Amino acid sequence: MRYPGKSVIDSSHGLQRFMLLLGAGLIALFIVLAILAPWIAPYDFNQVRGDDGQLFGTQQPPSADHWFGTSVGGADVLSRVIYGARTAVEVIVLAVLVSSLIGVPLGLVSGYLGGWLDKVLVLVMDALYSFPSLLLAIVVSIVVSGGSSGALGGIASAAISITVIFIPQYYRVIRNATVSVKTEPYVDAAKVVGVRTPRILFRHILSNVAQTLPVIATLNASEAILTLAALGFLGFGIEPSAAAEWGYDLNKAMPDATNDIWWTGLFPGLAIVLVVLGVTLLGESLNDIMNPLLRTRGGDKAESELEIELAEDLAADPESAPATGAGVAAAADGKDTRRTAVLSLSDLRVSFGTDAGRVVAVDGVAFDVEPGEVVAVVGESGSGKSVTSRAVMGLLPGTANVDGSALLRTPDDGERQLIGMSPAQLRPVRGDEIAMIFQEPSTALDPVRTVGWQIVEAIRAHRDVSRSEARARAVELLELVGLPDPAQRVDYYPHQLSGGQKQRVMIAIAIACDPDVIVADEPTTALDVTVQAAILELLLDLRDRLGTAIVLITHNMGVVADMADSVVVMYRGKIVEKAPVDRLFSAPAHPYTRALLDSVPHLGRTKVTEGTPARGPLPLENAPVVLDLDDIVVEFPGRWGEPPFRAVDHVSLQVHRGEVLGLVGESGSGKSTLGRVAVGLQQPTSGTVRVGGELVSGLSDADLRPFRRRFGFVFQDPAASLNPRMSILDCIAEPLRVHTDLTDAQVTEKVRSLLDSVELPRDFAERFPHELSGGQRQRISLARALALDPDLLIADEPTSALDVSVQSRVLDLFLELQQRLQFACLFITHDLAVVDTLANRVAVMQRGGLVELGDREQVLRHPTQEYTRSLIAAVPVPDPAEQRRRRAERGDLLTGA
Amino acid sequence: MTTDVLVAADAPSAEPPARRGGLSPLARYLLLRLALIVPMLWVLVTLVFFLMRVIGDPITAAQGGRLTPDQIAERKAEAGLDRPILTQYFEYLGNIVRGDFGTTLTDNRDVTDILVVNGAATLELSFWALIVAFAVGIPLGRIAARHRDRWPDVLLRLFAIVAYAAPVFFVGLLLKLATAPFGWPTSGRASTATELTLAKVDPQTNIMIVDAFLWGEPEYIWDVLQHAVLPAVALGLLTGGVFLRLVRVNLLQTLRADYVTAARARGVSERQVERKHAFRNALVPVVTVMGMQIAMLLAGAVLTETTFEWKGIGYELAQYLIRRDFLAVQGIVTAIAFVVCIASFLIDAIVALVDPRVRF
Repeated sequence: MRYPGKSVIDSSHGLQRFMLLLGAGLIALFIVLAILAPWIAPYDFNQVRGDDGQLFGTQQPPSADHWFGTSVGGADVLSRVIYGARTAVEVIVLAVLVSSLIGVPLGLVSGYLGGWLDKVLVLVMDALYSFPSLLLAIVVSIVVSGGSSGALGGIASAAISITVIFIPQYYRVIRNATVSVKTEPYVDAAKVVGVRTPRILFRHILSNVAQTLPVIATLNASEAILTLAALGFLGFGIEPSAAAEWGYDLNKAMPDATNDIWWTGLFPGLAIVLVVLGVTLLGESLNDIMNPLLRTRGGDKAESELEIELAEDLAADPESAPATGAGVAAAADGKDTRRTAVLSLSDLRVSFGTDAGRVVAVDGVAFDVEPGEVVAVVGESGSGKSVTSRAVMGLLPGTANVDGSALLRTPDDGERQLIGMSPAQLRPVRGDEIAMIFQEPSTALDPVRTVGWQIVEAIRAHRDVSRSEARARAVELLELVGLPDPAQRVDYYPHQLSGGQKQRVMIAIAIACDPDVIVADEPTTALDVTVQAAILELLLDLRDRLGTAIVLITHNMGVVADMADSVVVMYRGKIVEKAPVDRLFSAPAHPYTRALLDSVPHLGRTKVTEGTPARGPLPLENAPVVLDLDDIVVEFPGRWGEPPFRAVDHVSLQVHRGEVLGLVGESGSGKSTLGRVAVGLQQPTSGTVRVGGELVSGLSDADLRPFRRRFGFVFQDPAASLNPRMSILDCIAEPLRVHTDLTDAQVTEKVRSLLDSVELPRDFAERFPHELSGGQRQRISLARALALDPDLLIADEPTSALDVSVQSRVLDLFLELQQRLQFACLFITHDLAVVDTLANRVAVMQRGGLVELGDREQVLRHPTQEYTRSLIAAVPVPDPAEQRRRRAERGDLLTGA
Repeated sequence: MTTDVLVAADAPSAEPPARRGGLSPLARYLLLRLALIVPMLWVLVTLVFFLMRVIGDPITAAQGGRLTPDQIAERKAEAGLDRPILTQYFEYLGNIVRGDFGTTLTDNRDVTDILVVNGAATLELSFWALIVAFAVGIPLGRIAARHRDRWPDVLLRLFAIVAYAAPVFFVGLLLKLATAPFGWPTSGRASTATELTLAKVDPQTNIMIVDAFLWGEPEYIWDVLQHAVLPAVALGLLTGGVFLRLVRVNLLQTLRADYVTAARARGVSERQVERKHAFRNALVPVVTVMGMQIAMLLAGAVLTETTFEWKGIGYELAQYLIRRDFLAVQGIVTAIAFVVCIASFLIDAIVALVDPRVRF
């Protein structure tokens, strides 16, 4: 059964649902009172005489004739309370409607267009907002009505006074939401295909911003009632003879309070409280339900979504059905490791309570970690590898259910079972015996504490030493992990350090108490490759010096080959293979491992298989130039009082028809900015952009629009670059609708054929982006980019957010289409191995400048520049033997990060 | 609020970069923030001035029925109100720059004098209310966050919503109903005897409790404290409910932050994690929003002061409003705008001290 708000009620739980329904019920009650006031109320709000002509009398206590007594003015309190609901509802509806009608468009336009209009509006609105709203309402009410007036005028003037104070609120919320939505890739995606501004505003931005409106509206409504009552209380509301108003009645009742006359004030006051309570409860629970962060225990939903996604993505590989825990392609080399293992997991099982019942994330996991050994746990997203490590540390949320065994054996304390320990029992183990390094060092360090403080905290959690001793030790540790100037940097805050330095601090914290095991959860995933190489080097070095065992959780087979002694491969919560590293790479036993290794791009070993033709450099001399970037400079204005930041520094390059130019660089190298310049999303500070020989830089949006059909753009994050509120059909059709006069039927037909060409079923057209997996969404992005048969395709890290097995299939599809359609492509990526599989030529950028540009063979095999060499040397290749050779070879090429 | 302003002012700046010399980033930030007060105030002053003039001139508004048109014209000429509106506007701006907010029409008081005398009363009330608000909001907010979705949290959230939903004058009325039978003082800042005595204190601070301490007799101190209880509770509960919700929501967010997990993973006790990491980080947004609460506190003070006949700036404002003395209203409102702008600057400075990311 469908009724309005059903989905909202369905997505609430327990207390939240109670609050929601209570709030809605209270509001409904008062709306009914407001509409039916003349029939419900026993008397008129102004009536002081009964039908018999007798006066009611003033301040009479409650009686059978007057349930709530009579007021100072001699009117029936109950009737005034009921009629008061009518006034309140009228004012609220009027105020909320008018202020949203003015505030929303103002916020949209100001946030989207920016510029001086935005600055002036922000200043005015902020000034208004910071001003006590009641005073503003008073001033406005004086202006509108000269103080007070009759029923209609009074209600209108009260509503206008309230409207004025709410406009800034709507404006601010909508403007801020607009500012954040307008940088979403799906808005860029719409711009790239040449969608006009009004359509972007309403179709893409408003639809995504509007979901916050009911929340603001309810919160404002409660403030509106309070303001109305306050105006009335101060004598600035509606003329008392024109309409009943609770605030006015309360004012009149105030002297009664000290004379034991309670009924004159209590009932109007309660009415105000109940209405505001109702509206606030509704608003709060709507807010909670719509804000997933505050949602009541929805469980770890992400986990289950990933599960489904992975299942779909891997459905194509028939043989990779996971083996059960017992049937693991086991590796036990016959020797008994059990006695020496520092950490042994057996039959570990983790499940989460979610909206959709219990989801098993880890199922029967068992492996041993020997002292000083590096055990890599590999798997794609949703394989349960991180959950396993967090289960051991007792760091899972309360919805998790863990059983099985994790035995920790240390020389001092003997053998302990970690699963089932209380947090208090686990506390001495965490950090002292088992330490942890996290994926994202910038969020794993407390931003308001110095790094020294955090190391000292770790030491003093386990050792009884003085603050100054601990601090001295902290400096030592920072030195040990290779942070320059440790004595000075010990007092730095995390944001003053670079990403690599922060990860060094995390490592210093991890080794602060000489743990027996370090669990490193994707320790280098958030870092650039050169920094990654340095951090991995540091970890190995520490292992050699301190003898710490390392459990390395990663999805990167290159890192595994570089670091691991033995490898555990996980798939959908189960271990499918355990093997020493060399054997795993040379003779993978399980089909999933083989599929995984097959899909990993390998720098220096271009895949030449029957399916894809060899991708040697094409003869470029006679191919026409499609994209010509000439001496491009992009500068961004610096923060107040700082010089501008130069993101791209005099870069020139050309892309020819039928060619893939791989543009590589680390974060901050300016490669994405250059891509945005090429499609006109960013105007260059100087230099020119030509597409097909025609100048496109420096053009206004309107002048650029006809050229838009010549470029396609594929964004990094497939989830963000499709408008979540548009169907797949509408997403792909948008460029067709903007640039062609095709009929709806023709558009649909074209979309279907595009879906065919990206190898997706035609019925996907009716689905919405969130119903698709990451790989499928990226195919949709590709279809959209190719909808108008562009001459030029810019792909900005199109596969970085995908798992390797998905990446490899998307790349295959991409290559196949490029071969067929012969568009020129600028392929932007940080991954040299990906470039190696598909580019004809490679350009390397560093800090805004172009370092090297040449044929793939030359740049990747015989680089002429030092930076390119170090970049290539830093990439770990998925082959342990080769990686050992590379590691020895590169020697000191990589210095600290 | 502040971030918006900063974003807006961030980009191009007329200031030549050469002038910043050796200023630390914090000093530069604070200077920028201070400089922003000027345009904000200007917007408010201008807005209030022109809004108040839309209804006509203050003399007609106040004396309309009582004087003949000739008398009104005469009075207007006397007050300079017959000159072009822009002339009046610039004169008004000039006066404000010199610290002159004008004089009231009905009793010829200096608005600056109202600010000093009655402003002190409002300051005192806000101080008491803030104490109640902190005492209620912060500990209860922490308890609610710690017991998320269990019964203490449910009760505390309901309490916070009711504290917000009940208008301050209704809470005042209930408090009066509850305490009047026991002879507890329900209006004024002190009993008449105390007021008369304390008026003799020199130097006169106009802050009752300080004056009482300066006088030194315990019975007066007790009298002043007794009078402060009801208004402080009425106004403090309102703000305290807001603080409670703020602390709770922000703690819930920081408790699930990575650095909290990381602190747990290095063996820091749960108590320490909550106190040193989660709470400290939750304070940053809490303090920012508290800055905005100052405006709300002042608006609440207007109502609280009227309810309890606490002769603060809000009480005076209400009285002048009733008497239609719009010159006084304009002066007081402008002065309040001043206070709000300066207070929000101070709060931003405090945020900068709490959050190193702003400081460096």
